[in-house]
Amino acid sequence: MPTEPTAALPKNFLRPCLLLLLREEPAHGYDLLERVQSLGFNGSDPGGLYRALRTLERERLVRSAWEPSESGPDRRIYEITRAGMEELHRSAKAIAAGHETVAAFLGRYEEFVALSRRGTSGQQPKRKRAQVS
Amino acid sequence: MSELEALRVRDEVLQAMYWMRSEGLAERPAASELAGFLAVPAQTLGPFLIRFAEEGYLDRDEDRFSLTQMGEERGKHSFADEFADLTRPTHGECDEDCWCHSSPDEAARCLEERAHAH
Repeated sequence: MPTEPTAALPKNFLRPCLLLLLREEPAHGYDLLERVQSLGFNGSDPGGLYRALRTLERERLVRSAWEPSESGPDRRIYEITRAGMEELHRSAKAIAAGHETVAAFLGRYEEFVALSRRGTSGQQPKRKRAQVS
Repeated sequence: MSELEALRVRDEVLQAMYWMRSEGLAERPAASELAGFLAVPAQTLGPFLIRFAEEGYLDRDEDRFSLTQMGEERGKHSFADEFADLTRPTHGECDEDCWCHSSPDEAARCLEERAHAH
């Protein structure tokens, strides 16, 4: 995993996250490093971000250009390409399908044990596990 | 190390260091930090960094390295050169004023139509 996730996330989840962030607006690397934290990454691995961006650019899913800076060296600004939008859409559909599977798993597990999740701590199981006599 | 390999690593290192610097992440990273950034073993990268310093691309201060003027220019230009052919619109990409940029719904519909057309 190129950056450290703060929760169990799908494999290579950083790729669609970066595409999503760039779909929202073009961005510099440091900006992406901060914004990716809202999607479950702790932002402690700028190298992972850099390598992911280079891979996406080689695959023509993003493109970048130097942007002059008045206060320091020029910065690379990234934007999503048309192919990147298509890849993002495919990824979103795959994630949605995975989400349904995970929701089914959690629903069945919580028949036995209530999970403490964000905003839902303290819930009781829907039913008690069958007792073995 | 072969000369070709050294040139490839040189551009990769200089590009990464320029990027780190321009993003305000590190001006003088340690060899171990650079190795972690590029996901390569530190013992592999170390001899390359020493060589690039001897060639005038890097300034060395014990275990830390920074870009010289020559290294900065090479890092910036090789970055641009590497992706030069990727920064032009590719076949099938729309212009900035394409209708599908109007809303997420239209973009999604456009993508679906294109997917079915392939």
